[in-house]
Formats: sequence, structure tokens, C-alpha cells
Amino acid sequence: MNDAPGNGAPLLDVEGVVKRFGGIRAVNGATLSVRQGGITALIGPNGAGKTTLFNVLTGFYKGDEGSVTFRGEQILGEPSYEIAQKGMVRTFQITKALAAMPVIDNMMLAAPDQPGELLRNVIFRPRASMAREEEVRKEAMELLGLFNLRDLADAYAGTLSGGQRKLLELARALMASPKLLLLDEPMAGINPTLGRRLLDYLQGLRRELGVTVLFIEHDMEVVMNHSDRVIVMAEGRVIADGEPHEVRKDKRVIDAYLGDVAGEPTATAEAGE
Amino acid sequence: MTLLAVSLDAITNVNFWISVGVIAGTYAVVALGLQINTGFTGIVNFGQAAFMAIGAYTMAILVLKAGFSFWLSLPCAVLAAMLFGVIIGLPSLRLRADYFAIVTIALAEVVRLFAQNARGLTGGNEGLFCNADDPSNCYTNAWRDVSDHINNFVSNFWSDPDSLFPLLLVIWATVAIAIFLLRRLQRTPWGRVLRAIREDEDAALALGKHTLVYKLQSLAISACLGAIAGFFLALNLATIHPLDFEPLVTFFAYSVLILGGLGSYRGVAVGAVLFWFVLEGTRFIDLPDPPFTETRIAAIRLAITGLLLIGLMAFRPQGLFGKREEMVLGE
Repeated sequence: MNDAPGNGAPLLDVEGVVKRFGGIRAVNGATLSVRQGGITALIGPNGAGKTTLFNVLTGFYKGDEGSVTFRGEQILGEPSYEIAQKGMVRTFQITKALAAMPVIDNMMLAAPDQPGELLRNVIFRPRASMAREEEVRKEAMELLGLFNLRDLADAYAGTLSGGQRKLLELARALMASPKLLLLDEPMAGINPTLGRRLLDYLQGLRRELGVTVLFIEHDMEVVMNHSDRVIVMAEGRVIADGEPHEVRKDKRVIDAYLGDVAGEPTATAEAGE
Repeated sequence: MTLLAVSLDAITNVNFWISVGVIAGTYAVVALGLQINTGFTGIVNFGQAAFMAIGAYTMAILVLKAGFSFWLSLPCAVLAAMLFGVIIGLPSLRLRADYFAIVTIALAEVVRLFAQNARGLTGGNEGLFCNADDPSNCYTNAWRDVSDHINNFVSNFWSDPDSLFPLLLVIWATVAIAIFLLRRLQRTPWGRVLRAIREDEDAALALGKHTLVYKLQSLAISACLGAIAGFFLALNLATIHPLDFEPLVTFFAYSVLILGGLGSYRGVAVGAVLFWFVLEGTRFIDLPDPPFTETRIAAIRLAITGLLLIGLMAFRPQGLFGKREEMVLGE
């Protein structure tokens, strides 16, 4: 639609996706597209359906209607592990660090193409598994270094602070070599300095590896300064989609969402139809 | 009058302790299966007795009714148990952990009640014996040959070895090999995925792991160990009876597991020895007959074992070999 940076071919195309819970339409015909190489923010008031949409996109919920095309392939209704294997990797709003596993194991778990994850390869091709394991460990340590977690590599993930866990989950998602990274409130609970480093790092990743990011965020400063495009959801639909400076001026967005930030209560907090 | 005396003669009876060691080893094999399920995959399997029953009955039925050789019947029975594990796992492993536990205990009872009632096949409540008319055709025969060979060799060192001694050796060798293999498996990337599922299945799914396949493999390995334990039980008792596969068997195996510690295969072996030596050792507590009748003493023995478990849980909740951090952080 707009000439935003990262104006490559659409990586993800979402058309009229609906997710119902009983009578409630948590996602009610959401349509959006995410282009190759951009950092896109997904914003909206609480209950707008952002996380539910993430869950539908990544196969954790079965969507009721619509279509989702990822890298030219229809993926709506596919199981979550297959979607992840295709390169759409997500993080969770409430971090899911694997608490009773060391940090390094959390990281190495995410590596793709580890033949040793299949029982038959463990039995019949143990060497292939071990060789790959060395590469994976090196890669994991490098990423941990970037996130200031290298010294904690052998600590149980459960002993990390909330912010560190958030970082670990992001590092782990990157370890999976994603094509599209879906981050559910990645900055929540991270100190601002570290948060900024993290964003710089994501921008570097986009430049170097062409990783595309779609993230849910409530911090408007982060959204306006660090994203190429902003998609605004309210009541299960996309109500605006454009560059940050455009979206900021959009009347519907101010009514639905930004008005809250300015301290003017608006009528959109009420749910559904 | 001494209130609490211990009769020393019986305690020094080697044959008695060998039979305890056989039971302890059998339970170690059962509990190793529970360890990979509960301790490493986070799936709470309460149906282990069913896998033992399927292993033992399939082996015996193949030998007695289908004319298989004993050695061929063993892999067939293991496969039968593993297949059963996969078939019941396919629908039930999609359930949450606690519902899965309920389903497995029910399925174990279904298997046991089937064995009790399918009299033509299993001998029902009379148990499955070898055929008295045709003593050449019995699953214990092949084993007896091996057993005699072992004892011939052992008699070089021990003039009159106990008849169960070869079984003791074979069982504990099996435990040692199983622990060695399971520990190696656990250190592979495959084992890492199992632990990730234990910690958070959604996180594993989000990283592209087909968790159902891993849970089915975990259950199938457990079923294999259960079937092997079933063979040992059948060889030990020389008859197979539905009562040998009551839910209590699985609960005792869980006691072994908790005693040894979740997440430690070696702990299972130590836990099994400790549990059975305490449970059987309490037989030697001699109490004056009135008021302590035999049934009362039996109850007291279980109570003592229970107290020991409670005491251990109070002071060492992670079990003998479990890691406290993993237990606390696991929540």
C-alpha cells in the first residue's frame, strides 16, 4: 500500500481471518500483509485481538475463516510445529523459558536441521548429530553474547530475571533462523537501555539477514521510532495500516487507541458486537 | 519380653535376599520406563502394569498356544506392547497431563480385566500355566537351560547356588544396560526435545518440534521396558496371573521412582533396592503375637515403608538422586 522501507514482496498475507470463541469474535475479519524485510508493529487497545491473531497465524488456534499465505503457501490450519519449521517463529507474551533446563540447552533446542533430534538418526547416524551439535553450540554462544547472557549459559533458565528470560526467549527464537519473527510484547519487562540495544540488533538483523519482524507493542515511543510500518487493530479488525507518521494522525486510530495514551478515555474499550 | 526384636537367622538367609533382589530388579526395569515418561517427558503414565501384562501374556500365549520358540516370542511381545502404547497414546497423549494419567490407569484396568475374563486365551483367574500334558512346550524351558548353564558356571565359586541367582544376574544386567542406553539417549538432541516438552510443550511446538511424535516414542520405550519387566515376572513366578498386574504394581513403581528421584535413571536402581529391601526387611520385625497378629504385622510393614517415604519427602523432596533445582524451577 505505502512506500515503506522494506517494500519487498509480501511475506505474509492475511485475508479476512476470523477466530470465534463461542459467540465472541476475537478476530473478526483481520486483513493485513507484512512485506519482506520490514519491521512492522501491531498495536491496538487491550482485547483488540492482537495476541489471538498471533495464535491463529502460528497455528496455536485454528482459525475459523479466512486465509493466511506465508511465503506463497497457504498455512491456515496447519499445525504449529510445521508453521515454525517453515520459518514463522513466535515468542509469547508470558515468557516460556524452559525453566529446569540450562540457558544453553534452551538455545540449542531451537537450532534447525539437527539430525540428532530424530530417534533413528541418534541410533544410526550418531556422528552427524554430534558434528552438528558443535556448530549449534558455537552459534548459540555467539547469540548469547549479543544478549549479554553468555556468562549465564550454564545456569538454569528458571534462575534468570524476568527481563533476562525475555531476552533468552528472543535469542532462542533467533536461533531458529526465522524468516518472519512474531514477537508478542518483546519490550515488556526489559530495561530501556537493553530494550534499545535489542531493537538496534533487530534492525541489524533485518539488514544483514533479511529477517522480517512483526511485533505487538504498547510502548508508543518504541513503535513510532523503530518500526517501518504500523498496523492498528481494534475489535478484531485492522483499522489502519501505514507508516508511523501517517498512522499517528489517523482519526480512527486516535479514537480507538492513541486517545487513551493522551489520557482521554474513549468509547472503544467495550468489547465485540 | 522384648517388644521389638529382629530375628537374625532369617536376615542372613541368602536365598531370601536373592528373591528380594529379583523383585527389586524387576521394579527397577518398570520404573525406568516411568522415569523416561514422567521424569523426562512430563507425561504421567499410570498404565505401566498394562505393558507388563501385555509383555508377559503375549510371550506366554505365543509359546504355549502358537508354538513360537521362547526367544522369538520375546521380541514379538515387546513389539506388541510398544504397538499398544502407540495406539493408546495417539488419542490420549493429546490430552493434558492429568487427563492422560486418568486414561492410562483406566486402560491398564481394561487390560487386566480382559486377562481375567478371556479365559480361553489367558486362563483367567486360574492364571496361565505351562501345559502339564506337554511339559516340553513351556516358556520356562528355554530359560531353565540358560539358567542351568549360568549356575554350572557359578558353582565353581559357590557350591550350591540359589536357583533364582541366574535370574538375578540377568535382571540386573538388563537394568545396567538399560540405564547406560537411556542416559546416552538423554544426552542427545532428541533427549533435549523430550525435556523441553516436559518444561513447556507450547514452547517446543513454537520451535518446530512435533511434540506428539516425541511423546509417543517416549511411551513406546516405556512400554518396551514394561514388557521386559513382564518377562522377568513370568520367569520368576513360573505362572502369569491377572493379580500380578493390579494398579498397585504401578504405584509401587512410582514409589521407587520418587524415592530414587525424578530425572535420574541411576536413582531408579537405587530406589528400587531401597524400597524392596525396606518393604521385605520389615518382615523380620518380630512382635509378640497377641496383640500383633499376622495381618496386623502386614499392615504395620506397609505403614513403616510409608513413613520412610514420607520422611524422605520431608527432608529430601527431590529423592535420593533428583536435582532439587530442577524440581523447584519446574513449576
